[in-house]
Amino acid sequence: MEFAIISALNGVIYGLLLFMVSAGLTLIFGMMGVLNFAHASFYMLGAYIAYAVSSIFGFWAGLLVAPLIVGGVGMLVERYLLPRVHAHGHAHELLLTFGLALIIEEAVKLFFGDFPVNYQMPESLRFAAFSLFDTNYPFYRLFIGGIAVAMFIALWLLLSRTRTGIIVRAAERLPAMAEALGHNIPVVFMSVFGTGAALAGLAGAVAGAFYPTNPNMGLELGVIVFVVVVVGGLGSLKGSLLASLMIGLFSSYAVGIDWSLATLFDLAGLGGWARAVGGLITMEVSSISGTIPFVLMLLVLLIRPAGLMGERN
Amino acid sequence: MRTIIPAAILLIALLAVPPFLGLGWQNALVNLLIASLFALAFNLLSGQAGLLSFGHAAYFGVGAFATLHLMIAVEDGLPFPTPLLPLAGAGAGLAVGLVAGVFATKRSGVYFALVTLAIAELFHSLAPHLQGWFGGESGISAMRMPWGGFVFGSLLEVYYLTLGWVVLSILVLWAYTRTPFGRLTLALRDNEQRVRFLGYDAHAAKVVVFTISAMFSGVAGALLAISNETANYALFSAHVSAQVVLHTFVGGATIFLGPVIGAVVFTLFAYIVSDLTRSWLFYQGLIFVLVMLYAPIGIGGVIRHHLRHWRSIDWSRLAAPYALAGVGGAMIAGGVVFLTECVAILFGEEYAVAMRDAGDTLPPFEMAGMSWDPLGPASWLPPILLLSIGGLCLHRARDRIKPLWDAIEGGAAKEGTR
Amino acid sequence: MSLLRIEGLHAHYGKSHILHGIDLSLPDGAIVSLLGRNGSGRSTLLKAIMGLVPPSAGAVRLAGRDLAGARPFDICRQGIGYVPEERLVFPNLTVAENLAMGVQKARPGVPEWSVAEMYAYFPRLKERRAVRAGYLSGGEQQMLTICRSLLGNPRVLLIDEPTEGLAPRVVEVVMEVILDIGRRGVTVMLVEQKLTIALKVAREVMVMGHGEIMFRGTPAALDEAPDVRRNWLEVA
Repeated sequence: MEFAIISALNGVIYGLLLFMVSAGLTLIFGMMGVLNFAHASFYMLGAYIAYAVSSIFGFWAGLLVAPLIVGGVGMLVERYLLPRVHAHGHAHELLLTFGLALIIEEAVKLFFGDFPVNYQMPESLRFAAFSLFDTNYPFYRLFIGGIAVAMFIALWLLLSRTRTGIIVRAAERLPAMAEALGHNIPVVFMSVFGTGAALAGLAGAVAGAFYPTNPNMGLELGVIVFVVVVVGGLGSLKGSLLASLMIGLFSSYAVGIDWSLATLFDLAGLGGWARAVGGLITMEVSSISGTIPFVLMLLVLLIRPAGLMGERN
Repeated sequence: MRTIIPAAILLIALLAVPPFLGLGWQNALVNLLIASLFALAFNLLSGQAGLLSFGHAAYFGVGAFATLHLMIAVEDGLPFPTPLLPLAGAGAGLAVGLVAGVFATKRSGVYFALVTLAIAELFHSLAPHLQGWFGGESGISAMRMPWGGFVFGSLLEVYYLTLGWVVLSILVLWAYTRTPFGRLTLALRDNEQRVRFLGYDAHAAKVVVFTISAMFSGVAGALLAISNETANYALFSAHVSAQVVLHTFVGGATIFLGPVIGAVVFTLFAYIVSDLTRSWLFYQGLIFVLVMLYAPIGIGGVIRHHLRHWRSIDWSRLAAPYALAGVGGAMIAGGVVFLTECVAILFGEEYAVAMRDAGDTLPPFEMAGMSWDPLGPASWLPPILLLSIGGLCLHRARDRIKPLWDAIEGGAAKEGTR
Repeated sequence: MSLLRIEGLHAHYGKSHILHGIDLSLPDGAIVSLLGRNGSGRSTLLKAIMGLVPPSAGAVRLAGRDLAGARPFDICRQGIGYVPEERLVFPNLTVAENLAMGVQKARPGVPEWSVAEMYAYFPRLKERRAVRAGYLSGGEQQMLTICRSLLGNPRVLLIDEPTEGLAPRVVEVVMEVILDIGRRGVTVMLVEQKLTIALKVAREVMVMGHGEIMFRGTPAALDEAPDVRRNWLEVA
């Protein structure tokens, strides 16, 4: 019971973190048709910049400054780099962002070294939110979830209630027509890209203080985020949210499950034989919890290739 | 036909020269050949069929592991000829590629790329847990067994084996592009819908291309296994997948041998530069991005462009701006390298210690055998000068080169020589 | 003084040379009809004026100021409105939101339009103002897209085949609207396939062929030029 509740909480929060990063990615893709391979690098950049800033000016300064800087980087990329390869097609845009991801990762290693850095949460946030069955649940986890929820609400309000939101939604479908009505769509694109990047940066700044901050964090999260957008359907914010929560919950539960296929064979009395065969059959779900997202993705592809919320053609 | 003579010369060189090279260079050549084959196999899918795969390490890796298992069997007595070992890699690559291809080609474009990435990551995350197949975290090892009078103990013999397989594979891949199905592959890239309207099952065609690409990637992996006599799950890493993408596009995806050019350039680059600095991966990424921005057709594309218009090029006018561009490029490279190495040193552990010892001030540091003061203008002036003057040179050169090429291409268009 | 003047305008789609040096000037406050067969370059001309297709040569002067090469949003802000052939309502936005997309500041000396006015004109739109535009009928979408562009207070309105695919009764309404717009003082360039409509609505007609202007004159003059009609308008 305790396991179920804690896992559910952890899963939802991890899912919300995934959503913070994938929301930007899916927004950018929906609007501009560019899959930003460097998006997860923005996440990592956010964590490292927050670490650097917080070492001098404190945690909250880092949390504020990191998304702004990463957002700025995003805007520069969209304004100066992407247009150069736009004429050569989507493949080249993908490759460019891929190259950027490499450069960012190596640059981080240059400045901070090829090992984890000690980015910690502030003492003021280091307490237990509540006690559940003798386990203290850290407040900071709830803090991460809270930031993600706040961000989601802000995004939703912005898109549905403001004039800017109307312009962004219009430009997502018919950018040329929106521009012909007098709206500076190039600036809109740049801002959307920057906002998406800033969101990823914020996610990194918040999560990096809890999870390890190392040069690999971009790649590790990046692959999962890509799975999220494939499962949820690229361009769909709701799909991303759904897929993020699903994967978050699955991964969270899987870590605590010591079953394996052999356990199934136990039911038929063939457990001994199964364990003698070994290999995949005796592999516990908990040890392959990292692989769950990929299996999920392959399943979705088999059953419903367009992703959970489909995609617009 | 005029490519036959240079190709023959190259082949003769590859056959005759290596015995006189040191072990280090022989090793570099083996890796170079493997990287070239891998890149060519990759480009079958991405450059020709237009399906960009970011997880080709999967097929490379399974090829390596399958070959090692066969090598273990040969060690235990199986009478399988050592030179034919890469067939295991081909078989594994084909099998895994077939299954993966069926999944991956259900989607196209960006989705396809993501799926291939995830498949490779699936292997990467699963392999460390599978002791039997992938040797868990430490991997599998096996020895090359003698066969047919050859001991296969020396690196040179491995080199010739690798060369043989790579040349053979290149010829097969080349022949493939001449077949009707090879043409169809190109058609898939350009206009898939039309392929379908012509009556072909596009999905099946894509699966076939994927499988062939994976098969040859498996051969490349097999050659690596034979050469290294070991493999572990790191072969499935995103880094390996990334490398082949870099090689292919820096070399040029639209030319058949483009990927080989890229593989050669980057393998040699890594070989030479990695001894000099730890930041060589950064430089590699930087070169890739610069090529994408300023020479998207790749080195091979640029060469072909020049060859195509060879007769219309007036070298007396083009030589000077090209030289200027070269100088400018070299200066900018110098400035970038200077700054990067400074950063690497200043942010490194040794300097942190030196800072503490010097009482939290910024002491001078050593680079390239000279001493530099981090705050002094003597340290910052060189890179600033290099970058700005280099930039000016490039700018000037570009202003003079562009109209010359516009004229060449305009003339070609008029003559209809394309 | 002519509000909109086009001088030697050329445009390409890739390597295809579509507009071969267009010269024209729109008389102020008039409705001008642009006629011609499919493929003669009429839509391309409107797009080139609007900046949606970049001109390869020539000038587009609005009150003397050359707009060729400017971005579409700049051109719109200068006072040129565009109603595209495919209507292009934003299907995921409501009617009200679509209209909001078109609103711009009032310009001195230029007819001003308000949302309330649009709703008064078209009660149907008001009824359906919270409906997603993708669910509207063809006629309703046409009304919507015309209103949307009017809310930008344009000096010149470019309209591309507004009656295409519409029922005869709706066509009547569209014609009335266009005449109204003209009466209010907006200069209109109307691309229209249906000759009868074009002649009824326009003060002047221009006939395009092969990317050039082949004929310019009043509707009456066109009536009296059967060879022009035969060469450039009728089915061969």
